[in-house]
Amino acid sequence: MSDRRSERPPGFERRGERGPVLRKGVGVPTSGWFDPRGKALGGFAFSANRVTGLGLVFYLYLHLGVLTLLLRGEGAWSDFLRLATSWTFLSLDVLLVLGILYHGLNGIRVALVGSGIVADRQRALWWSLGVFGTIVLVVAALHIFGSK
Amino acid sequence: MATIRTRPERTRSRTRSRGTRSGGSWTATTLTGVGLLVLLAIHMVANHFVVRSVGGLRSYRQIIEYISDPIIFAIEAIFLLFVTSHAMLGVRGVLLDLDPSPRARRWIDIGLVTLGLGTLAYGYFLIGTLASRA
Repeated sequence: MSDRRSERPPGFERRGERGPVLRKGVGVPTSGWFDPRGKALGGFAFSANRVTGLGLVFYLYLHLGVLTLLLRGEGAWSDFLRLATSWTFLSLDVLLVLGILYHGLNGIRVALVGSGIVADRQRALWWSLGVFGTIVLVVAALHIFGSK
Repeated sequence: MATIRTRPERTRSRTRSRGTRSGGSWTATTLTGVGLLVLLAIHMVANHFVVRSVGGLRSYRQIIEYISDPIIFAIEAIFLLFVTSHAMLGVRGVLLDLDPSPRARRWIDIGLVTLGLGTLAYGYFLIGTLASRA
């Protein structure tokens, strides 16, 4: 008669232990998000969301810094406006709109999928919101560059 | 159901205290994000798409006139609160994905709360000062 312990499957003794967290949901859960190479659409969307998010946080403080010029008075602000209405700065404005649109629209997708409202339509949402965002970006760019 | 081991196994105490984004944090990020969609749209349209000038940018006088309107002032104040909260929660999520120790996590929370409060204080000082110049 064989020993009863030998009939147990491998690792049986450790089944009661708490193991690593196996996460489900949208996006890449842990490190490596900043390298989208070889990842599926969800991984790319998650990486881009983080990059645009960090960029927008940087812009928030840059914006507050620029608005400090208003405290110095009309002259300082007029000097800044001369710089801000150059082609380079207007191009950066369009880049800002791109970042806001991507982060905002992808945020809608993540909220809808993550909350379970449309859990099985994340690819369709990504593409449809992408088309909508592209149209808005083109309109915004035409407006910004057209005002020059 | 097949599962994939996504991170190295940890001891019990480490697993309990691991720094990850909680459900409450996700909900807060989502709610502030939804609020931002509306407030940011108002902010961007009002500051870039209303005034007829290069880039839609307002002159100094136009800004003072704009921000001194009580409704606009209230909208911009709420916008600042939402954008700062959302930004701090987002940065916290990025930092917690690096899986910091409980001690580091505590410092991250303290640092981000301090930075957020400082940002709000400066932002309110800025728009309050400008509104008072009208």
